[in-house]
Amino acid sequence: MLLAVLRCGDDASGIPVRDEIRRRAGRALTLGTVYKTLMRLEAKGHLSTTVSDPEPRRGGRRRKLYRLTAHGRRALQRTLATLNRMTRDLPVPLGAR
Amino acid sequence: MSAHPPRLAERLLAWWLPPSDAEFVLGDLAEQFEGDLERGRTVAAIRYWKEAAAAAWQVRRPPPSLPRSRSPRGDPPVFALLNDLLTAARTLRRAPGFTAASALIAAAGLGAATAIFSVVNPILLRPLPYAAPENLVMVWERERDGSNSRMGYASVVDLATQSRTLESGAALGYWQPTIAGGTGDAERLTGQRVSWRYFDLLGVTPATGRSFVAAEDAFGLPRVVILAHGLWQRRYGGDATIVGRTVTIDGGPMEVVGVLPADFDDVFEPGTQIYRILGYDVSQSFACRTCRHLRMVARIRSDVTHDAAFAELNTLSRRIVAEHPTEYPAAGINLVQVQREVTRQVRPALLSVLVAALFLLLIAGANVANLSLARAARRREEFAVRRALGAGRGQFARQLLSEGLLLALAGGAAGVAIAWAAVRALVAQLPADIPRLAAVRLDLGALGVAALATLGLGVLVGLAPLATAGGRNPFPSLGAGARLVGPRRHAGRSGIVVAEVALALMLLVGTGLLARSLLTLLSVNPGFDPDHLLTLEIQSTGPRYDTDAAVWDYHDRVREAVTAVPGVEVAEVTTQLPLGGNFDGNGIRAQDRPLDNPALAPGGQRYAVSAGYLRAMRIAVIEGRDFTHADAADSAPRVAIVSASLARRVWGGEPALGRQIQMGGGDAPWRTVVGVAADVRHTGLDATELNGFYVPERHWSFANTSVTLVVRTTMDPAALAPGVVRAVRSIDPAQPVMRLRTGAEVIATSTAQRRLALMLFAAFGTVATLLSAAGVHGVLAGAVAERRREIGIRAALGATPGAIVRMVLRHGLGPAVAGLALGLAGALLLTRYLRAMLFGIAPTDPVTLTATVTLLAGVALTACLVPAWRAIQVDPVTALRAE
Repeated sequence: MLLAVLRCGDDASGIPVRDEIRRRAGRALTLGTVYKTLMRLEAKGHLSTTVSDPEPRRGGRRRKLYRLTAHGRRALQRTLATLNRMTRDLPVPLGAR
Repeated sequence: MSAHPPRLAERLLAWWLPPSDAEFVLGDLAEQFEGDLERGRTVAAIRYWKEAAAAAWQVRRPPPSLPRSRSPRGDPPVFALLNDLLTAARTLRRAPGFTAASALIAAAGLGAATAIFSVVNPILLRPLPYAAPENLVMVWERERDGSNSRMGYASVVDLATQSRTLESGAALGYWQPTIAGGTGDAERLTGQRVSWRYFDLLGVTPATGRSFVAAEDAFGLPRVVILAHGLWQRRYGGDATIVGRTVTIDGGPMEVVGVLPADFDDVFEPGTQIYRILGYDVSQSFACRTCRHLRMVARIRSDVTHDAAFAELNTLSRRIVAEHPTEYPAAGINLVQVQREVTRQVRPALLSVLVAALFLLLIAGANVANLSLARAARRREEFAVRRALGAGRGQFARQLLSEGLLLALAGGAAGVAIAWAAVRALVAQLPADIPRLAAVRLDLGALGVAALATLGLGVLVGLAPLATAGGRNPFPSLGAGARLVGPRRHAGRSGIVVAEVALALMLLVGTGLLARSLLTLLSVNPGFDPDHLLTLEIQSTGPRYDTDAAVWDYHDRVREAVTAVPGVEVAEVTTQLPLGGNFDGNGIRAQDRPLDNPALAPGGQRYAVSAGYLRAMRIAVIEGRDFTHADAADSAPRVAIVSASLARRVWGGEPALGRQIQMGGGDAPWRTVVGVAADVRHTGLDATELNGFYVPERHWSFANTSVTLVVRTTMDPAALAPGVVRAVRSIDPAQPVMRLRTGAEVIATSTAQRRLALMLFAAFGTVATLLSAAGVHGVLAGAVAERRREIGIRAALGATPGAIVRMVLRHGLGPAVAGLALGLAGALLLTRYLRAMLFGIAPTDPVTLTATVTLLAGVALTACLVPAWRAIQVDPVTALRAE
């Protein structure tokens, strides 16, 4: 989820994040699930939110944009590093029994 | 495309979501909706609802940790309820056995009640599908014994024209035409001959074409017909140009002037496919006052009461009878609301089955409440802990209520599925001549009743633990009550068992009475031998049969062809079959018993038959002789055979042989009685009117174009059916063959309604018995489990196993015995309403009562045995150490 937010850059609101996950991870989530997770991550301090300016094209609707906090970045780095360490030089190739 | 997302979903979600999130979530959903619009409005709307539901679920879902009975931030009460429901769902998921059992039991009760209500509602409760149906009445002449009689055409005309309280009246006559042309073979139709006003009177306008008009309703005019929607679709493929065309009916041309709307449902003759203008004239012989073969339906003026119309018509009737004293048995008119009249036959069965279903629903409710009480008892510790943590009585109530409602909802949903299947099965089983059968379906009304019942059940089940606690706190604090022993704690559950057993007994008594009635009925001798008997109706219509002789010759050729089929002993012809559902009553006058008023002559069923009919049916000839082939000759003297009942009715104990009788009008020939035949049951096995007479068919004044062929076989009659039909067709393939049935099927059909009622009672009674047994067992098992320590102490102090068993049984059988007593009293009170469906036994039949009480007592005792056995297995040492 954090990676998806990162990938979406300045455009990380509900729909783009959901679409990014579907595109990259092949998982079709409902918007509700996406919101729920984003809100939790925000509560944990991994994400911060800003409210966008009203869009000109549709009745002045605003979006809630998510952005990784420094805390979130560190958490992501830690996770990725852990994953990296755990997968490097596996004595048994993945897929073997 | 600029469509707006589903507004209802949007508003609900806006209200549901925390204000801080609503704007963004709704915006995203709207955006997605617009993207989805490319794939169609419906797809987009469905997706929107799905996403909205998911968002609502996810964004406000309480964390799945501790059960939370009060939502934070002072939410609106609905919110709290939803939270309670979510909590309840989690709690129930942790007790899958209890949940499944309760939901299934609730489903059985709700399903049965909903299904039966779906059947009863359109037939008995909902107004008929006509304009102002409350003003529609059937008008009958009143017989001397007060019963209803059909009317002659002249009487109908007199009443309709002279009455000031009737807006209009119409005559209905029986008509079974054979239609040819269009698609398919020649076929026999269910039809009616009706006065031109008939459809106006009902407030029905043909969907295509027009109604009948006054000018058409006269004798000798070209004949016009109106088709029912079904026939028009089936035979003419819904071709609108049928109006104005001529179709071939009974071998002659008739013009179609209209087609009825698809939703028209004739309650006077359910399943009517075609209507022909009555076309009578009072000058015709069949239009006379004594030719009582018409029914009269009328509409009372909207500003006139039923009583006023009744009074006026009776005054009119007295005047008419005074003018024609020898043509009426008695003066007087009976007025019956149409809905009451057409449902008279099925009303007792439907109402009693509805009550039975309600009983089952009550038992199911009691059982689920019982389970929920037992569960509450097991959850004492949970409640005690939560109480110690500060939960109040209201919160417990709310949670229990939520659990009850959720259980009931699950049961209700499954119940509706059961009802859906059951309604389809019931419609297939119900006799086709029940009015409004086409309207029987699981409709909104039934679903509404199901929803109400579900809600009621939910409240009952949820609050049972609270209610049975009375003034005491049902949720004792920690430590208290854990050692409370004795029956007092179980007062609530025992009360429920009493109710269950009582209701089950009443259902079983009903079942027993119906079963004994059916057995008694089936042991009635129908007067003929239904074994190795095949019956079928054959037709002879069309130009080839325009003389009576041609029809009779056709019957003879068919009999010869069928008799030649291997396995056929003999084939004979009769104009009507006992228990076959036909009526052909005729007045019988005896030369030596003249009557001042010929209208008072006894009536009897007419059977115009081929010579060997009585032998083929194995109807015994008690006195005199059977017909011979010589009797059928044109030159032969006119003879008749009368039923034993008719002979007794006319001549008392005196011999009937050799007497002269006359049937079918004053100019009919006198016939010599040559034999007395054993009575046959004509209108039903429970028939009490057994008068009948037989004449050789060639000696009747006209030939019946529709007759029944009775075939006595030496082997399985059903196996012979195809060969018999082939033989009939070999004579004239254009003539339809109808109602092919074995003798056993004829009997079965005549008892169909009773069997269906019995089947439903038996099903409900069985389920009720099992549920009440489960109730007895459950209460006792719970009690034994809780009294383990007490039982252990008693055993340690020297109580024998016998004493312990007696103690347990006393505890378990007490409520059962109370239930049996209560149920017996209820049964004595209620079974009188079954009287209309009973045969040969009283509603208080002692055998049935004794048998059902014994059966249910046995079941209750069996249900007690396992807990009793467990009680004597209690090891005193283990039981005491466990504390």
